[in-house]
Amino acid sequence: MRIDIDALVPWVGSLVVVLLGSLVFPNFLSLDYLLTQAQIASFLGVLAAGAMVVILLGHIDLSVPWTLGWAAIVSTTLVGTGHPVLEAIAIPAALCTGAIIGVVNGIGVAVFRIPSMVWTLAVNAMLLGTSVLFTGGFNPRGEASPLMRALASGDKLGLPNALWVWLMLSVALVWLLRRTAFGRYLVAIGLSEKATWLSGVGTPRIVFGAFIVAGLCSALGGVLLAGYANQAYQSMGDPYLMPVIAAVVIGGTSILGGRGSYLGTVGGALFITLLTSVLSVMQFGEAWRQIIFGGIIILMLLVQNFRRGVQA
Amino acid sequence: MPHDVVTPSGTAPIVELRGASRHYGPVVALSEVDFACHAGEIHAVLGENGAGKSTLMKLVAGVVQPEPGEVRVDGHPVRLSSPRVALEHGIVCMFQELSLAPDLSVRDNVLLGARSTGLGFFSYRRMHDVRALLDRIGGESIRLTARVRDLTLPDRQLVEIVKALYREPRLLILDEATSALNASVVERVFTLLRERRDAGLGVLFISHRFHEVEALADRISVFRNGRHVETFDNGRYDYGDIIQRMVGQSIDELFPPKASVDEVPGEVVLAVDGLTWNGRLHDLCFNVRAGDIIGIGGLDGQGQITLLQALFGVLRRVDGAVKIGERVLAPENPRIAKQSSTGLALVPEDRKTEGLIPHLSIAANLELAQLGHDGPGDADFEALAAELELKCASFAQPAAALSGGNQQKVALMKWLALSPRCLLLADPTRGIDVRTKTQIYALLRRLASQGVAVVLLSTDHEELVHLCDRVHVFYDGRIVSTLAGEELTSEAVVSASLDSGAAA
Repeated sequence: MRIDIDALVPWVGSLVVVLLGSLVFPNFLSLDYLLTQAQIASFLGVLAAGAMVVILLGHIDLSVPWTLGWAAIVSTTLVGTGHPVLEAIAIPAALCTGAIIGVVNGIGVAVFRIPSMVWTLAVNAMLLGTSVLFTGGFNPRGEASPLMRALASGDKLGLPNALWVWLMLSVALVWLLRRTAFGRYLVAIGLSEKATWLSGVGTPRIVFGAFIVAGLCSALGGVLLAGYANQAYQSMGDPYLMPVIAAVVIGGTSILGGRGSYLGTVGGALFITLLTSVLSVMQFGEAWRQIIFGGIIILMLLVQNFRRGVQA
Repeated sequence: MPHDVVTPSGTAPIVELRGASRHYGPVVALSEVDFACHAGEIHAVLGENGAGKSTLMKLVAGVVQPEPGEVRVDGHPVRLSSPRVALEHGIVCMFQELSLAPDLSVRDNVLLGARSTGLGFFSYRRMHDVRALLDRIGGESIRLTARVRDLTLPDRQLVEIVKALYREPRLLILDEATSALNASVVERVFTLLRERRDAGLGVLFISHRFHEVEALADRISVFRNGRHVETFDNGRYDYGDIIQRMVGQSIDELFPPKASVDEVPGEVVLAVDGLTWNGRLHDLCFNVRAGDIIGIGGLDGQGQITLLQALFGVLRRVDGAVKIGERVLAPENPRIAKQSSTGLALVPEDRKTEGLIPHLSIAANLELAQLGHDGPGDADFEALAAELELKCASFAQPAAALSGGNQQKVALMKWLALSPRCLLLADPTRGIDVRTKTQIYALLRRLASQGVAVVLLSTDHEELVHLCDRVHVFYDGRIVSTLAGEELTSEAVVSASLDSGAAA
């Protein structure tokens, strides 16, 4: 198996961040700290996995924040009723919500052929609106189920459960991308939708599939975040949109579609989590943290661009 | 030979090419051409598609430069590095693709970039001149303030002609300038051109309508395969002789022998009855039998590609009966078209954007059509690659690394894996070297002999004549002529393509 060098860039970046951080705070190299970071990176990683599928296709899903928001609202509200059956179906119902939003996105992009950047942004706005209608603008009542809390915060065999969830999702996704026709069509469509369609591939159904996978991943992320915070709250997804896309792109996936490796996306999620953590520990003001964060991401993208330019 | 062309006026020609060649990658568009155009003559250029006519025009108009070769204006070597420089020498070109700005008015378009308009103070006198010119060539109904976008195609062509003439050229290049005009308007344009010629204008004229060339030209130059074949006075040769010069000698050894005539015809695989689409295809009827290679010919863009797309389910709302395999309707999309119950395959026109995904590996390209197909499983790609002599290091190489000919082989192989009943090919040998062509011809003939029905769209008349069992010639979305057996000659194909143009 050939490993994409682009995919290794964020891994190297993560290593550099940890080593540099440890110069200031030796604590950074402790297992505890790293496991906590891995747990937090899992939330981002699960969201980025879905985003990557859509980006590989040459599209983008900007409805991530409120898809995860709605998944959190649905699951915590069901648990909040106190009814044991409703509590049991909280997670499946949240995933279904994500899948339905994926179908709506798929309809806009595959059937009406509206650019995904616009359509999913509009869907995101409508999800925001409906959630305000539903909750009256307050934080939704309800709470996470013990299972949700355990998934987000517990651990097994010395590793955080969230990390286990991310790992299992990753195995499934790698299988999907590498071993199934769906995965190959995804890349082919990302490179040339026309040529793929002329090869007799039902491209609309692949687009649908990709947006459904993305919706499911966003919803799973929402469930984990709700479990972590033990509640759903307004705008809980908003801080995640840019980091999710940044994680995918830093991992070497072309924003134009067709090129990218999942290994890179995992590295991207780790890198962004570690960078955020290091910057906050170093006690810069919020303003500087944002500026440095943005600057480093731009720097990494420039490095990749430059490297590809040298290759070509 | 072109060198001993006697100058009508005894002076140096306005434009002269000496040993001019031009390559596009490995494709030779023009090869060591000597050519001259004089003041006071209308010089027609004839040749098949791909003979080098358009490249010749581009050289003269300064769009491209000869590599190597020399351009002389009034006997002095010059470098026409851009159309602007050509314009300074008095050379004005009106191209096939319309060059008007759609959102500007007719007046602005004509005056835009014309000589001595300077900073663009449009005087009443200029408006008057433009009006007078338009009226002369049948554009009385065109308002000067109308936006070009709102004009019909023929009206736009008239504005183009006026725009070109308004620049007061010494040499005017007309590339299919009258293709959308009807006969009476064409006659008025010609009268004006003859008048200007008598006043010393040189005209280079390309048209596929042979009768227009005959009516207008003083001299005719024939091009074939990027070479200048001959220049002669109009009237020296008759129609048949000129066609003979355009088409050239046949190259029999290129093509595999056709199926013998006494063979029992195969069953009908594809039956097309009354196929119509969106004003572009009109009531097409033909059958393709197992073992047939059916040619689709005609001038560029007469609906040939559209037909293949309609058959393969690329177009929506196709009318008419298309009987193929177990289906009676044209397939709704390519996915249905390739199912084994239908059994169609299309090798598209542009292998880089349609036939293949250059960035993907050869293997990934090959499997793209086969994945998710319900037919027989793994094809023996290795054996096919060996038969076609595919030159690649391994199937893991990206398709982009292959030469054009080898890319086309991959584009073919990916469909052969599905064992199609009927293979549709859109100009599969365009821009490909002779050796690869021969291999593809042999493959097509073998497939036909194994019972595959082949529909071959081609812009190469040799191919249509020597490879195909029957040829349908298209004009304006209709089959205007069907040629087979003894009638199927290059002359007949060219003449059918052109004559139908004359009739329209």
